[in-house]
Amino acid sequence: MTEEILPSAEFRAQLQKRGGATASRCYQCATCSSVCQLAPDQAPFPRKQMHYVQWGLGDRLAADPAVWLCHYCNDCTTRCPRDAKPGDVMQAARSLTVETLAAPRFMGKLVGRAKFTWPLLLGLPFAFWVIALYALNGLTIPEAPLVYDVLVPHWLIYVVFFPVTGLVLLATLISGLRFWTLIGKNQERSGSFIGTVIPAMIEVGVHSRFAKCGTAGSRRWGHFFLMWGFIGALIATTLAIVALYLIGTYPLPLDHPFKFVGNIAALLLLVGGIWLWINRLKGGEQSGTSTAFDNFFLYLVLLVILSGIFTEVGRFYFPPALACWIYIVHLTSILTMFATFPYSKFAHLIYRTLAMVHERMAELKASK
Amino acid sequence: MEKVGCFLCTGCDIGSAIKTEGLEEIAKESGATAFVANECLCAPEGVEIIRTAIDSGELDGVLIAACSPRAKMDEFKFDLNKVAVERIGLRELVVWSHQPGDEDTQMLAEDYIRMGTSKVTKMELPKPPQEAIDQTVLVVGGGLAGLTAAKASAALGHPVVLVESTDKLGGYLLGVKDLVPERPPYDTTHKNDIQDLISEVESNDKIKVYKSAKIKKIGKQPGQFEAELLGGDSFKAGAIVQATGARPYDANKLSHLGFGKSPDVITSRQMETMILEGKLQRPSDNQMPGRVVFVQCAGSRDEKHLPYCSSECCLTTLKQVSGIRKDFPDVECAVIYRDLRAPGQLEHFYLGVQENSGGMFTRGEVDSVDTAGGKLKIHLKESLLGDEAVLEGDLVVLAVGMVPTSADGEAIRQLKDARARIEKKESDTQVAEGQKLEEQLKHHDGTEILNLNYRQGPDMPVLKYNFPDSHFICFPYETRRTGIYAAGAVHAPMDAAQAREDGWGAAMKAVQCIQAMNRSEAVHPRAGDISVADFFLQRCTQCKRCTEECPFGALNEDEKGTPEYNPLRCRRCGICLGSCPERIVSFPEYSVDAVASMLKIIEVPEEDEEKPRMIAFLCENDAYPALDEAAARRLKWNPWIRVIPVRCLGAVNVVWIADALSRGIDGILLIGCKKGDDYQCHYIRGSELAEYRMENVKETLERLSLESERVRVVELARDEYARIPELFEEFAETIEEAGPNPYKGW
Repeated sequence: MTEEILPSAEFRAQLQKRGGATASRCYQCATCSSVCQLAPDQAPFPRKQMHYVQWGLGDRLAADPAVWLCHYCNDCTTRCPRDAKPGDVMQAARSLTVETLAAPRFMGKLVGRAKFTWPLLLGLPFAFWVIALYALNGLTIPEAPLVYDVLVPHWLIYVVFFPVTGLVLLATLISGLRFWTLIGKNQERSGSFIGTVIPAMIEVGVHSRFAKCGTAGSRRWGHFFLMWGFIGALIATTLAIVALYLIGTYPLPLDHPFKFVGNIAALLLLVGGIWLWINRLKGGEQSGTSTAFDNFFLYLVLLVILSGIFTEVGRFYFPPALACWIYIVHLTSILTMFATFPYSKFAHLIYRTLAMVHERMAELKASK
Repeated sequence: MEKVGCFLCTGCDIGSAIKTEGLEEIAKESGATAFVANECLCAPEGVEIIRTAIDSGELDGVLIAACSPRAKMDEFKFDLNKVAVERIGLRELVVWSHQPGDEDTQMLAEDYIRMGTSKVTKMELPKPPQEAIDQTVLVVGGGLAGLTAAKASAALGHPVVLVESTDKLGGYLLGVKDLVPERPPYDTTHKNDIQDLISEVESNDKIKVYKSAKIKKIGKQPGQFEAELLGGDSFKAGAIVQATGARPYDANKLSHLGFGKSPDVITSRQMETMILEGKLQRPSDNQMPGRVVFVQCAGSRDEKHLPYCSSECCLTTLKQVSGIRKDFPDVECAVIYRDLRAPGQLEHFYLGVQENSGGMFTRGEVDSVDTAGGKLKIHLKESLLGDEAVLEGDLVVLAVGMVPTSADGEAIRQLKDARARIEKKESDTQVAEGQKLEEQLKHHDGTEILNLNYRQGPDMPVLKYNFPDSHFICFPYETRRTGIYAAGAVHAPMDAAQAREDGWGAAMKAVQCIQAMNRSEAVHPRAGDISVADFFLQRCTQCKRCTEECPFGALNEDEKGTPEYNPLRCRRCGICLGSCPERIVSFPEYSVDAVASMLKIIEVPEEDEEKPRMIAFLCENDAYPALDEAAARRLKWNPWIRVIPVRCLGAVNVVWIADALSRGIDGILLIGCKKGDDYQCHYIRGSELAEYRMENVKETLERLSLESERVRVVELARDEYARIPELFEEFAETIEEAGPNPYKGW
């Protein structure tokens, strides 16, 4: 059966916008695949993916785990004899895949075009909070000592975030399933999913793949701190709810052990976020090329971190009005982050993990 | 020569490795009248001894037994009109390559003294041809290469006649808009400047231009060519540059790629015209195509079509993509290639064009082009996607290769001969064979370009892939016709930049040839040789072997078939000498008799001494230098072998084999250059002819109950010196196994 393949100009234009235009320089020498430390021997990348991009085969890219096994080390880009920047092209392919697999599709498009839509993505949640609080209590700033619950009652937070989280989890599940099915079609797997997820998670936890990166090796620790910071923040939030309903302490005093967990998480996030930000500012091949899609994500994360820290500090040291507005900004950024989770760079959490699980299961199949 | 002096150098360890005392006697027994031993013969004092002996008339022949004839050439330079000089490389052949003080080494040195001395006694003084040489360069073909050759020859001070068959100068480039980058930074095309060159040539008063002209015939030999044009004009020329270019491969043979099935499948030439005229249209509906797909290697590197790479189609496509994107930026270009060849700095051009193609460049082989339906579907096999793939396009451009315009002189001759046979009606088989040949070759009818009056045909014989080039790596611009050089696309497939360079190169060769003839010297590869062949025609049996086998067509025939020697066409290779069963061909310093005398004077030990004797004839172009190199690296080889340098393996007369074997020599080795399509033989066919002749010799040996392995032909390249010891040793073992030559002692 002959497969009809037609490069689409639209696809190429898309990729160009996302920083993958250099793929047209590639002459398929495969230096990239041979220098990549992360590519499996049996399915080397990114030469093949470069070729998919040249042919405009978006569907093949979306169904290719290699796109996600790439950690953007840029060892390929450093050595490419034609300066085709395979690292950037893979990054572009990821952002395009996120959009292709997005559920619902329009959300993918909305976040994918963050260069133009970012005011909307941040503005809508901000407007929501302002309007909701105005409707609730006329946006009255509480007196010091400041208790945020007075400004934003907990029930409102639950009413907003529980459904959003639910929807986002559903969307993530749908996209994840789509991806899992697609990659399974091209490569057979065997073994148990759960049994494979655990070693894969451990690998993610210690960032052992990042350790193999040459050119962009320094990104490892920034990413490591950031990831553990988010996990810490998640734990701290859970503990805060436990404290509120099971222990009945609210607000937690600064010296409370739960607060300590939250502060450690905040520190990790701050260090990780600034690390990556500086890394990016330094530029060059170790940082790769930043696109709007990447920048939107990074600035959002920095906004979440900084607004979070200032919210905490502001409670004690800032004028209540300033602290409250910072808190609203924080809630806005959190809402944006949650709502765009499966459509932003955050989605790599699910796709990369699945790709790593798939890789293990496919290897198991191949070794049988 | 009668008064022969043997000059022995004892320097460079020669004196310590062999006993020199008895050598004087040996030299004198072999015909020397004088003997001088000197410990540094190449020093001015040493050379002076030789010079004084020559100038005083004491000697007319000199043997220098010292280092290789390839060493100290400036020191041992004497007036060859006055004295016959032979050199024996004792240092390389004996001292460096064998055990010093050994009995076998001593015998080897003594044999070389005998052989050298004996040869000098048989040598004669050369009689250089004294001919009037015309200084004009005739350039055939007025395209880029021809125009450049004409301009270059004129710039080198020679009158030029340029003959162009069409009514315009400029050739292929007249139909071209831009040229592939030729200058730094090599990333953009530049304007075709052929008109500048045309006006430069037309306004040059050293250059006479004939347009719409054809050559009726060219008589005589280089230095004295007599050309006559259709229409009556005639002139003389010293040398010729043929720059008649190439034709695009006939795309009608590429129907699997859709040519002829859809008007929207065109050739790169047609695309060139579209770009020149600024009209990019699909021929079927005159609409602008959305996507143009270029198919590289269309019929090239394909045994069924053109087996070779034309080297410029990739660059032409890059140029066309660049042209399309410049003038029609909305048109996408996709290029399907097998290997994209953009050598050297042109990588910059390739990269830029690929990046801005609007489409893509992909490796793959086009299996077929489906012309049914609105869009053309290009089916790929062996694409990098791993499976069959299909690409859609609105216009398909087939990048077709080049077919040289060279007329195959040899085939035309064969055709004429076949027709003569049919006319003669000697026998039914003769007629039938003639008719068969005529059928095969009649497409050569009317293809003549130069119309030379050579016995071997009216044009240059073609070699690999129908190009007249003799060997582009070793002998650039050389053809199988002395004084006639090929330039441009008829020489080898090439682009404009190369054709320009080629025009200069061929012009310089043509001028060099005229200058050498002015000094009565031979051209490449025996540059500087002032002797010519001598034919003792009284004994000629008109067997025509020499006239057939001369690789350079130096010999015409009279009506009876007696050879007519044209010394200025001759390269002095000696293949005629090798071919002649009557041994009537000789050169003053290289004759059947001279070499035979060397063979006859070798001391052949008795059978019971267990010292076999072998002869190795080494081609002096590559094998002998390789031997020198082996010696310089102090490689040791078998001391039973006596080396005789020859002009070419083709210059080995079979009588020498007979002479050697009848004297009791146990084996004969012939070492020469590679033959076949990728030959390295400096005289093109010498090694091939030697192989053929030795096969016949072997048959004769078998009939005489002699082992055929006593004669062996070996190919050796210039860089394969390390093989020599093993080669000799292996041959010696073979001979030992075969046992002693039964003719020993007769």
